[in-house]
Amino acid sequence: MSLSKQPVVWVHADCLSPTNPALMKYPGAPALFVWDDELLTEWRISFKRIVFIYECILELPVVIRRGDVVSELLAFAAEQRADSIVTNPSPSPRFKAISSRIAAKLPLQVVPVAPFVRPSAPLDLGRFSRYWRSVEADAMRPPDEA
Amino acid sequence: MSTDMRRDFADRDELIAYLRSEFPAALAEGAAVSATRGGRSAAEERLGRLDPARYAASRNFLNGAVTRLSAYLRHGVLSLAELRSAALRAVDDPAAAAKLINELGWRDYWQRVYAAIGEGIWRDREPLKTGVPAKSYAAELPEDLATATTGLACIDAFSRELVETGYLHNHARMWLAAYTIHWRHVAWQAGARWFLSHLLDGDPASNNLSWQWVASSFSHKPYIFNRANLERYSAGVYCRDCPLRTACPFDADYEELEQQLFPRAPRPAEPPRRRR
Repeated sequence: MSLSKQPVVWVHADCLSPTNPALMKYPGAPALFVWDDELLTEWRISFKRIVFIYECILELPVVIRRGDVVSELLAFAAEQRADSIVTNPSPSPRFKAISSRIAAKLPLQVVPVAPFVRPSAPLDLGRFSRYWRSVEADAMRPPDEA
Repeated sequence: MSTDMRRDFADRDELIAYLRSEFPAALAEGAAVSATRGGRSAAEERLGRLDPARYAASRNFLNGAVTRLSAYLRHGVLSLAELRSAALRAVDDPAAAAKLINELGWRDYWQRVYAAIGEGIWRDREPLKTGVPAKSYAAELPEDLATATTGLACIDAFSRELVETGYLHNHARMWLAAYTIHWRHVAWQAGARWFLSHLLDGDPASNNLSWQWVASSFSHKPYIFNRANLERYSAGVYCRDCPLRTACPFDADYEELEQQLFPRAPRPAEPPRRRR
């Protein structure tokens, strides 16, 4: 995937590391975290969880806003005259839905996080034991030998 | 478009006061704040105390050397690969880190299942193997469980700890989930929503699929425990002063409990699973 020229970084709650690969790839790019008000209500996220997440965010170079994630991201990108949005992956269906709404308006680049294992063939996810038999050797190997 | 939220706080108290005013609706689930602080620096402090061999030997005990890193993993403050590297660095023989790395594998596994089935994590993956009719499971959590007033010292302590601290030891999660589903006949989804609301590491994949594992919709048979198991791994701290210590619903061997809880289970029980 080609590099974005003037992106903004979307930091979401599945990737709150200061070494977040999207932030690392575009150091100095404006970055945004959006509190998803609808999700907070739907999952009845308790106050202590909000405090914990907020403390994580405060260690990152991001602007913090709240509301509808797509609207906030597009508004932030427009303010910054950005040509694209860069983020990290998430398995959640909500992430997929938000991503496709963004991608309809602006190019979206998803920068992967270093994986735990790199299976060479599709995994049987029917039971953990089958998954583990396939990946155990890879999982136990120090990453520089992977 | 919303305005920027604040980033400058003199201390944690000021942050908490600000967040109370910004997120009043969240206070409905309780105003407690966890002693566990968010952020990479807090995660690295815990990472520095990692002891994979002690973890392997003691992880099932409530006072065991567990890592308390789950909330940081859940929010990607720390990645599974980073924790695995730290675990391997902390031991001379990689075999000493094997149990910890295997447990990291569970998180990776749940995430992969989530990526594959999405909202399907909220539905039974397979039929329950309890023999209990589906309509017998209540859709909502009973009041006494949510308010820690069942009278069972262990269960009430776990319920309080969940709501007040946002953390429960894995074994306590399994006991509380098993009690909720199999003794109280509450649908696992109600328990999963309860945990997701409160656990700092609340992740829909790990959480819901683990509830399904206990329920038996994502495993070969339901997970149950008995008093001897709970007493052993909790050092007996709950049973000692429990008002129901002479009327304990868990005080039986596994065969008796299976007969009592799952009289119409589809097939004869194999030896029950004690723990993951």
